[in-house]
Order: sequence, then C-alpha cells, then structure tokens
Amino acid sequence: MAVSSRLDQNPQIVERTKTLAFQQNRGRNLLLTLGAGLVFILLLWFFTGLGSAKLTQALALFAIWGVATVSLNLINGTLGILSLGHHGFMLIGGYTTALLILPDDARQRILDSGRSAMTETTVGLSISNLFNAIGLGGLTGDDTLWLRFLLALFAGGLMAALAGLIVGIPSLRLRGDYLAIVTFGFGEIIRLSASTRIFAPLTNGALGFAGVPSDFGKSVWWTFGILAFTLFIISKLKYSSYGRAMESIREDEIASEAMGVNLAYHKVLGFVISAFFAGVAGGLWVSWLGNARLDNFLFTLTFFFLVAISAGGTGSITGVLLGTALVIFVRQYGDPLEETYAISRWLEFIGIILIIAGAAFLLYRSFNRSGKRLPDWSVWLFTANLVILLLGSPVFPAINLGKIGLYIFLIPFLVLPFLPNVGDKSKGVGWIVYALLGIGVITLLIGGISPGAGWLTGTFRGFGMRGIALAILLIVIMIFRPAGIVGRHEFSWGWLFRERLDQPTDEERKQDAWLSNPELNRAGGAAAVDTEEDA
Amino acid sequence: MAMLEVQNISKSFGGLRAMSDVSLNIEKGEIVSVIGPNGAGKTTLFNLITGVYTPDTGDIKFEGKSIAGKKPNQIVDIGIARTFQNLRLFMNLTILENVLVSQHHKLNSNWLSAVLRTPGYRAQEKAMREYAVEKLAFFGPRLQSFRLHQPVYVLSYANRRRTEMARAMATGAKLLLLDEPSAGMNPKETREITQIIRRMRDQGGYTILLVEHKMNLVGEISDRVVVLDYGQKIAEGSYQDVVNDPKVIEAYLGKKAEDSEETEVQKAAKMDGRTI
Repeated sequence: MAVSSRLDQNPQIVERTKTLAFQQNRGRNLLLTLGAGLVFILLLWFFTGLGSAKLTQALALFAIWGVATVSLNLINGTLGILSLGHHGFMLIGGYTTALLILPDDARQRILDSGRSAMTETTVGLSISNLFNAIGLGGLTGDDTLWLRFLLALFAGGLMAALAGLIVGIPSLRLRGDYLAIVTFGFGEIIRLSASTRIFAPLTNGALGFAGVPSDFGKSVWWTFGILAFTLFIISKLKYSSYGRAMESIREDEIASEAMGVNLAYHKVLGFVISAFFAGVAGGLWVSWLGNARLDNFLFTLTFFFLVAISAGGTGSITGVLLGTALVIFVRQYGDPLEETYAISRWLEFIGIILIIAGAAFLLYRSFNRSGKRLPDWSVWLFTANLVILLLGSPVFPAINLGKIGLYIFLIPFLVLPFLPNVGDKSKGVGWIVYALLGIGVITLLIGGISPGAGWLTGTFRGFGMRGIALAILLIVIMIFRPAGIVGRHEFSWGWLFRERLDQPTDEERKQDAWLSNPELNRAGGAAAVDTEEDA
Repeated sequence: MAMLEVQNISKSFGGLRAMSDVSLNIEKGEIVSVIGPNGAGKTTLFNLITGVYTPDTGDIKFEGKSIAGKKPNQIVDIGIARTFQNLRLFMNLTILENVLVSQHHKLNSNWLSAVLRTPGYRAQEKAMREYAVEKLAFFGPRLQSFRLHQPVYVLSYANRRRTEMARAMATGAKLLLLDEPSAGMNPKETREITQIIRRMRDQGGYTILLVEHKMNLVGEISDRVVVLDYGQKIAEGSYQDVVNDPKVIEAYLGKKAEDSEETEVQKAAKMDGRTI
C-alpha cells in the first residue's frame, strides 16, 4: 500500500502546521511596534528641534502625501484597479475642510470682494457657526481650532467617500484600462465642475479660499498622527479577511467570484475607504498650502502618487511610503538642481553621478553573480560614500566638504573594479562599468581641473532638472526592479528577525524527498519509517 | 429528491448550440463523472451550474431550489463550489491565504469590526484558520506546515491542483465540481488524487461531479458516468455500460467508413438485435 502511506500524516508536522497556521509572536510584535513608534516620535522631536522650517515642511508634506499614496494604493495595489482620479477626491476633501474652518476675517474678505461667487449662506458654512447653532458656542475659540479642524477633516473625508461610492459603481462593469480612463474622467469632472456656476458658491470658483489655517498641515505632529491613523486602518484592513478578499480580486476576478467573494461589494468598499483617506489628505494638503485653489489639484498630483507607488512597490504599504519619501525628497530638496551654475560645475556633477552609476553597476553585477564577486564590505563602502556625497552636496549646505573632500571619497569607487578576483575568474567586470567609470573620470577631470578653458567659463541654468532627475531615477528603478524597490513585500518584525515561516525543517525536507520518490529515498527519515510500519 | 437537478438546460453562443436539452441528477454522496470528447460541453455544463452562464432554457435546482440565473458568489453561498481546468489560483497569495479567501463569504463581521479586530472577528478568523488546516489535511503531508506560507507561484503543478481543490472544499460547499482534477499529473499522482477524491466523499461528506479525461480514474471512482457529445447527453450509467455503448465509442473513435458502406443491412440488423 505505497499509495495510501503517502497520504499519511507525520504527527510532528501536523503539530507544526497547527502552530504555523496562526499568527506568531503577537505580543512581541506589538511591543516592538510601540517601541519603534516611540523611537520615531523622538526622532521627529529631534528633527523639529533643529528648527529648520524647510525640513519640517518636507516632513509634514511626506506625511500628507503618505496618507494619499497609501490610500491610493488600496485601490491600485490591493484591489488591483488602476485609479487615476485621486486628485478629484482630494479636491473634495480639501475644499470641504477649507470651507468649514476658514477664519472669519477670510470670510469677510470673500464677502467684500466684488468678484466672489459666494452667497451669505455659503460663506456662513462653518463648524463655528454650527457650534453656535447647537449651543456649543464655547468651542469656537482659537484654542479649540484643532477640534474644528479634525471635524472638518472628517467631514471632508466623508464627502470624498461619497464621491468614491459614485466612482466605484462603474468599476463593477469595467476592467483594466477602460476603468482607468473612467476614473480619470471622474477626477477631471470633479476638478472642472468645481469652478462652474453650480458649485462656485461653495468653492468660490477660480478664486478659491485664501487664508486657510496652516497650523495643522505644517505641523509634523498632526500630519504624522493622521498618517499613523491611516496606516493603522489600512494595514489592519489589508491583513484582515476583507483585505485578502480584495487581494484575491486583484489576482483573479473570476476565481474570486467563484470562491464566493462579492465583487461589487468589495470593489466599492475599497473605493469608499480609499476616497475617504484621500479626502483627509486633501484637507491636510489645503492646510499645508494655506489656501485652496483649483490648480493645486491638477492631475499631476495623482501622477506623482502613482510614481511613488510604482517606484516603491505596488501593493506594499512599506514600499509606497519609501516611494513617497523619494518623490518628496526630489520635490523639496531638488531645488539646488534648478539653479544657475558654471558649466564646469555641471560637468563635475555629471562626472560624480557617472562614477556612482558605474560603482552601482559593479555591485549589481556582483549580486547577480554575472560579474566579479565583490567582498561584502564593498556594499557598506558604497552606502557610506553615497551618504557622504549626499551630505556634501548643495542639499545640505551646512556640511560643506569642499571639492577636494568630495573627490577623495570617490576614489574607492575607482579602485573597486580592480580588486583581486574573488569569484569566477572567467567573469569580467563588464564594459559598461569601465565605460561609466572612464567617462565619469574624464568628465570630472575636465570640469574640476580645467575650469578656465574657453567654453567652460559659461553658466547654465538647470531649469526643470528636478523633474528630469526624478524621471531618470524612475527609469533606473523600473529597469532593475520592475516591481518597485520592495516589490510586494511588506516590512514585518518577523522579516527583520529572519523568521522564515516558509522554509522546511530538516525533517520536512526528508519527508518531501520521500514523498517525491519513496523508492529512491527509502531511509528518508521519520516519516518514511512511520508510514512503513503503518502499512 | 436529488441534490442537484439539471432539467433540460440549453445554452447557445450566437449560432453555436453549446448545450441542448441536457438533464442530469446527482444524489447526495455520489461521485458522478462527466466525460466526452473535446468541445462536448463539459466545461459549459460546469459554467452553467456555477452561474458563470445563465441557461437559455431549462432549470437547475440545488436541494429543491432553483439556482439558475444566480451569480457565482451566490451559488457558492448556496453550497456549490468548483475548481478550474486551467487553474485559477491567487498566485501571489500563500496557500493558507488562498484557502482563507474561499471562507470569506461565511464571515459574519463587517469590515470595521475586522479592521478593529473585535473579539467576534478574532474568533471567526481563528475558526477559519482551523478549518483551512483541516481541509488541507485531506491532501496528506504535502500542503502542511511551511507550505502554508509559500506563495502559490512557487508550488509544483500537482500541488497547485491540490491547493485549488482544498480551496473549493473550504468554501463549505456540499457539492464540488472538479474540472479535470488530474490534468498534468503523473500516474502516481493520479492514483493519489483518485484516493483523495474518494476520501473527500467518504470522510468529508462531499458530493462530487467531475470532468475527467483519464479513463482509469473515471472507472475507478465514479458511481455513475454521463457522456456528452456536441452539447447533448448521449449516455448515462455505470462506467462499464457507458464505455461499451456504441454511441459513446462512435463519439470517441468515429464510425468506420467502409463498414457503413458495405454492410448497411448487417449493421441495421445488429442494432436491431441489440435494441430488442
């Protein structure tokens, strides 16, 4: 009875199955998460303590866009529907928030202005007036603005969620590109109709609202608090039965329906939750900007979110946050790239980039085992160099390493390809590495050593260079990691501690070998012996 | 009353009559096989029963209630689940997640209590995981322990088939429609799957309707065999009866051309002799 024995269970493995089927180390993970949160709060406290307004703004913007990208990722990554209308949801949330918390003097200015389309009634739409009407007049002071702001954010979220409900309905009939076009259309309809005569009394038409309090949008604590709330809800949703059902829709709609998942309900649910958080992000965005204007809600906003999602890893919350950080960094700290420099300076810059690219190629080939194998410390050296170069760049003018200092740090990159061969001797370094390093060194030398020569004396303004830098970064990521920086993977404490739940124990390995061929693997461990006794 | 009653269903796609006037009863606890040459309408029959298509005429009843025109997910709720001929697993999800998704429709918590992990939701999640392990145990040690957390795309073809069957079982359905459960398996694995299907009926209490091309598997486990050809039922009965049925042989192998020319009369006599 060889066949029947192959279906018999090994009691030890059955035991292990029972433990593995349930979540592991929940208490430890909770403690670690709380601890990491505390460390993060301390870090934020340290960064805000530096007193740099630019840094605080960038951090707040990261949190705001993080709310938007994480919520867009619920539709794009978890549900697998390409949605291009996120700026529309944000607009609804943003305008609702702005209207509800606009201070009285700003309202008075709207009324006084001859060009405003708003009426007495619509100008009076505010949470303060609501509080006065229901006898909570004590809560209309400046010290309770935070309460009104939170309520306004919530209201903005709800309005956006309502729009999400409407946009979600076509998703029941359409798929893929067609649905993407419809969502894009909805986003544009929302933006364009906001300035029409029907909605102008609510949105103040093309003028928008000026003077929105930015105490919240520019506060690291409020924005990160709301980001934490968003992450909590969306990650808990992702790891719940509902999240699994949504992922199954992404994987295979037909199979998902055949396994009892109600497609309509889950798609609309995804849209509504995502739109809610988009509305909240819109409210924070308006507060960060200090005004609500239609040209702050162009399609480019959704486009940047999509860039962040694809660069980080579609479907992964960790990846999406990484991608957002990348986009925000280039957006907020890319301005030195757009200034006017001497051509020799540009050449130096290009040379440095080429040398880094060459070194990166070298490491990439080494990891891929398609080139010379580099020692492990070279990775650390590379990372350290990147950090030093970044700190020495115009991004952080406080730490000025000087020209010679920068050059010295580049030397290890040039030495790397000539290290003694550790791995397979037949594999070379690759012409592309030599080409990048060679051209890099030549450019660097031309730029750095002979700046006085003829045409090198001119200057060049890097207009739009920020966008180009982001695009090049994106191209590089897409070539080497098409699924994004982290792919579908998600950060977890188990991953950090190298707990591989999907790896067999030695006994399981033996049993697997025995299962695949009992004749060849006769003495294959306990499983084999047990079952033979049974037979 | 039969568990599943398919009553004179027909289905056309444009001018093609994919299914015409097919009736079929399945009793509780039976294993019924549907066989027939390629394009005979076996998968169409499955699609009609599981709600992917709606029959043009006729009715399908499950435990006495009509299910024709219902959506696939409603039919799963009612108690019929299926597997697919070309495997439709959730490739980037793990085995465990695959088997949990198919239990989602039984969940009694709304999304908010799932997000907040209320005690009620937690208890159900635990029960779902236990149920998943129980169903995976039908397939022996192959889908156990570390494999629970392996994404489906790393699995072997045979293990993917097993996972798909486990996923269908976990829906809680009483009737399973298995579309070629042994496709792409070697003889050893086919023998094993035969045994598993029998176990599913004997220990799991499932009623099984299967489409299969491997005749040894069909012969070994079927209580009854239904033969389709060009969308029509041409034979039904025990495996032995069906494989000796001249209509079935004709459907699979065709008629001999010279036979029909030379001995028209003889053949007619033969047929008469058999019918009398």
